[in-house]
Amino acid sequence: MMIKIQKKDFNIEKEINNIKSKYPEVGAISTFIGYVRNINNQKKVTSINLEVYKKMAIPLLEDITTKAIKKWNVIDSLIIHRYGKILVNQKIVLVATFSMHRDTSFKACNYIMNHLKKDAPFWKKEFYNEGYKWLKNSK
Amino acid sequence: MIIKYFAWIKNITEIEEEIINDVKITDINKLKKVLSKRYPKLKKYLQKNEMIQIAINLKYTRDNKPIKPKDEIALFPPVSGG
Repeated sequence: MMIKIQKKDFNIEKEINNIKSKYPEVGAISTFIGYVRNINNQKKVTSINLEVYKKMAIPLLEDITTKAIKKWNVIDSLIIHRYGKILVNQKIVLVATFSMHRDTSFKACNYIMNHLKKDAPFWKKEFYNEGYKWLKNSK
Repeated sequence: MIIKYFAWIKNITEIEEEIINDVKITDINKLKKVLSKRYPKLKKYLQKNEMIQIAINLKYTRDNKPIKPKDEIALFPPVSGG
């Protein structure tokens, strides 16, 4: 299990290959990549600023991932979540799950992402041409 | 105890964290009362669980749990990561 909370952008292929190269038995990798959209709530978005309570986010994401690994017998997993200023079109988050078969990797990836959205202590401040708004995830 | 504030709550407190040493603060409700006096603009939000979430030592709590002088208490709005 690898969890990274970082400011800088990342290379998806490189990050996934770093893990995949360790496991010849992995036949399926499911990924979710979250990006900053240019439109939200009918407003033109220019950028977001993500704040994190890192000290809490890491054990919480470890707990979510441990549950997913056990439930679907996943071989390994990767979460990269960025914080700080992120522009439109840039990546916010990557979740990848590594399994023998697709069914378990799909389910584990979905489970981790859903729980991350619901509980992980990150907060988005969305900037428009004029003003900003703190966002709240729908449950 | 150390109290940490996140997102728009920080705009009200104007600080990210502070240490409050008061032996009378023995549970979350007592802490909320102290913070409501210290930050009157926070009071209306502290009265609603859905507006401010609380974590004691990195774990979510919804109830009025006891707290100890060495605890780390975090106050934050509903999350919006991912």
